[in-house]
Amino acid sequence: MMSLRVCYRKVYKKSFVRNGFRFSAFTPVLFPIDHTVMCKAAQSICTSLSAQASANDKKPLVTESKPVRFKDGGRGSPHSFTVFSAGSAKERSNIMQNKVKTSPESQYESLKKREVNVPTVPLGAKEWSKLKEEFKRPGKFEEFMMEQMISTKSDINVAKSLLTFAAKEQCGISYKLLLKYLALCVQQHQIAEVYDVYEIMKNSFKSFDTGAYSLFIKGFSQTDRWKEAITMLEKLKKSITPSPRNYGECIQGAIQHRDKNLAWALYKEMLQAGLTPCEETIQSLFNAELDLQDDAFRNNLIDILNDFRDHQIYPGEPLMQSIKSWFESTPNESWKGHISSVSVNGYCQNCKQQLESIHLMPEEYNSLKDIFIHSVIQGHDTFRKTTPQELQDFQQFVRSRPPYDVVVDGLNVAFISNKGAHSKTLLDVVTSLASGGKRVLVLGRKHMLQESRTWLRQHIKLMQQRVDCFFLDNISEDDPFLLYASLNSGSHCCFLTRDLMRDHKSCLPDAPTRRLFFKWQRGHQLVIPFYTPGSKLRLQPIMCYDTILQRTNFSWHIPFDKMGVNRASFEVPKTWLCLQKKH
Amino acid sequence: MRLMNTTLRTIKSSIKILVQEGGNGWSSFKIPHSVTQYRRLMVSQCMKNEDPKSDSNETINLEEWKSILKLGTQSREKEEIQVHEDSSLNGMRELVEMWRLAGRAVPELVTTEQLKVLMELPTKTARKKYLKFLCIKENIKRSNKEKKKEIKSKMEILDQLKKDDTRELKNTFLLKFWDKSMDLMQRWKSAQAMKFGQPIVFDMVYEKYMSRYELENTVRQVMECEGCNRRSDDPFHLYFCSLQTNGPYHKELVKRYMGAWDNILVTTTEKSHVDIFPQDQLVYLTADSPHELKQFDHNKIYIIGSLVDKCQQTGLSLANAKRLNLATARLPLDRYLKWDVGAKNLTLDQMMRILICLKEGGDWKKALSFVPTRKHEGFIERVPTNK
Repeated sequence: MMSLRVCYRKVYKKSFVRNGFRFSAFTPVLFPIDHTVMCKAAQSICTSLSAQASANDKKPLVTESKPVRFKDGGRGSPHSFTVFSAGSAKERSNIMQNKVKTSPESQYESLKKREVNVPTVPLGAKEWSKLKEEFKRPGKFEEFMMEQMISTKSDINVAKSLLTFAAKEQCGISYKLLLKYLALCVQQHQIAEVYDVYEIMKNSFKSFDTGAYSLFIKGFSQTDRWKEAITMLEKLKKSITPSPRNYGECIQGAIQHRDKNLAWALYKEMLQAGLTPCEETIQSLFNAELDLQDDAFRNNLIDILNDFRDHQIYPGEPLMQSIKSWFESTPNESWKGHISSVSVNGYCQNCKQQLESIHLMPEEYNSLKDIFIHSVIQGHDTFRKTTPQELQDFQQFVRSRPPYDVVVDGLNVAFISNKGAHSKTLLDVVTSLASGGKRVLVLGRKHMLQESRTWLRQHIKLMQQRVDCFFLDNISEDDPFLLYASLNSGSHCCFLTRDLMRDHKSCLPDAPTRRLFFKWQRGHQLVIPFYTPGSKLRLQPIMCYDTILQRTNFSWHIPFDKMGVNRASFEVPKTWLCLQKKH
Repeated sequence: MRLMNTTLRTIKSSIKILVQEGGNGWSSFKIPHSVTQYRRLMVSQCMKNEDPKSDSNETINLEEWKSILKLGTQSREKEEIQVHEDSSLNGMRELVEMWRLAGRAVPELVTTEQLKVLMELPTKTARKKYLKFLCIKENIKRSNKEKKKEIKSKMEILDQLKKDDTRELKNTFLLKFWDKSMDLMQRWKSAQAMKFGQPIVFDMVYEKYMSRYELENTVRQVMECEGCNRRSDDPFHLYFCSLQTNGPYHKELVKRYMGAWDNILVTTTEKSHVDIFPQDQLVYLTADSPHELKQFDHNKIYIIGSLVDKCQQTGLSLANAKRLNLATARLPLDRYLKWDVGAKNLTLDQMMRILICLKEGGDWKKALSFVPTRKHEGFIERVPTNK
């Protein structure tokens, strides 16, 4: 913690210099992407505020942004509390719901299902028919029994005796029942039995359904008859796109039987079909035997890692282990991998190397700005979210002012505490933000100007004296304007809201833009985790590094999902794999 | 010899099944793989009697079912029918058949047109959904047919009974009041409404925002509206505004009304409602509106957007009203009902019934009884007065 504080002081000094520079500029300037400077720009808003507050002898409104720990403690990582880090949505929902208890209804359900017990030893026909008489729906007895066997993973011989009973009683076995038996065999890796079922089914049916094909592919791919799995995949392709799992099992089979060309051909075909490969598939490729891996093979694996970077995919823990051991087993190069985390200011705890900045490149920034105004605010129909007149007024307003440092979502901030008047909460927050010499813009709606119990005119007037305000129509959406004003002010500008902006992200036209927006959002969104009137204002620190797979000539940093952590789609993992090459 | 018997019997029994099922009228469809539908791994009856030892014996022969199945399948291969069709369609048909055997929600009979639609669908999920839709449709059709048969047989019995006792003519005041006379009366009233009635507008500009199914649903709801308006005591004068001739709405309406389209007593126009009526009289009804409808105004012209949005296009009709600078209103659902689940946007016919009830002087409670009861938990007893 001590070292962190020292770091903050340094940042503060730098940002002070930068402040002077910024305010002399009139047009919104995109600062040159100097890594260290950019990284600290966003940070400066949190930290310089805190420094200011401690210097002020007024009521300290802002404290040092030290980690606010939730009830279960910080879990080791220095910043387990930002809204975008993995598992925080889950934590919040737990706090809100006060720990979900297992409802008695679900227990009752499970009791109800266990009405009929699956026998543990093979039964004769008489015993089966006795059981069947006890069962309520005689038409579905065999299928129900087989399903129960699959879920309880019972012995395959019991299933065989059931089949014998069914074959005799009904003069045959339905396709459905046979399919379920097949699933049981595949589940328990009874290869010989799978072969037998295959022979029987091949003789009696011209083709199979997708479920049967999938089961056969799964059953065959690990055995000597894996070639047949490939032909089945071909058959499946004729009528329907095979699932990623189908492909994955074929690839695993090919790798196991040392046919690397086929494996990679299938992998590329799968990508071309627009499917996302399963983690197990990629893991099996990384786990392939060493003598199989030539240069092309290794390059393909590096390509997979590049794909991870491009699509912001984070591997799970088992895959991470495979990647680590693959790097460590590389011949002629001595790699060493460590599990690591990253400090708030973006240094890997293991190798002390600084990670990539979260700030966008100028061209990325400009394209995001353009796309944003086209697809989110205007959309197909400008009247949906606002009116053209209002949009024009707002653009005029933003253009006529020098760039802002913080844009505040007035209504969102006003409602963070339900004690006291909303206008008072907003005024307090805005005052403490502006006290650091920051230029602040507050966005609100026109109804805030009307005197009421929660909106006092004097508060609003005071606020208007201290900062710039813009009031939108009551039926317009304020979030798009917030984002636009923030984007328009340049990359040093942050916005303050608790809204996660997921609906606006979904309005963006394609996945790359969405990822760009998310990256920008992580680097520029300020959040007040909790607030009571009169207390100190705490802001969550902004991440200044990008959580993405990254490499230099001598190192790789790979973020991964820890086991047992539920990561929501708008969160990023906080655990890293740090790989270093020794000279 | 026994084996021969077995095979012979299997063939006979399966042919019998085929003949039975053939009576269901699917000879009109082109089904190449009729056999697979009813296929089950068959074993002749004699197998059962033949093998008494496993019934009594302690050791159970676990592999027995395989031999039974193999025996059963030997005869089967001879019955394969080869029909040549387009190979990809054929593959799809086979897949559908096999899905049916695997117990998925798939129709029994698929026509070639339906298969072609199926092939054109881009994703697996879309195909599954379409097949499920066909399956449900088929089931409804089948059950309706059965019901009709039942009713027919009942009617026949009733007719026979009637014939016996209606020998002498009765003395009546009126001739039988036929539906025709009812129709005539309603048409008189509608004609009156065309002349003097309060206008109500259906805004038909949403064609391009809807999928095919949504459009069909909308037209069904519009027809329902027209019907309940016609039956009411004091009908509205219906306007279908911005209805493009030969547009999707128009086509669907003509198709559904068949010959009656030119005879129904509504005003259809390609013009927009703002061109016909003075702007200050128009009120656009939309669930997104910030204003609540306090009471029904007999001098206003209410506009209902004819739109079914299954993909939740929020603010679509509000945007339209904003663009034309019209007054908007929403029903006071929250004021009168304890809302439970579901969106606040109601179907067109529910909207129509509520407005008709309000027009006839009904209070809000009576009018809002047309809101589906699954959406709310009941009425709020003491209605809070406006501050």
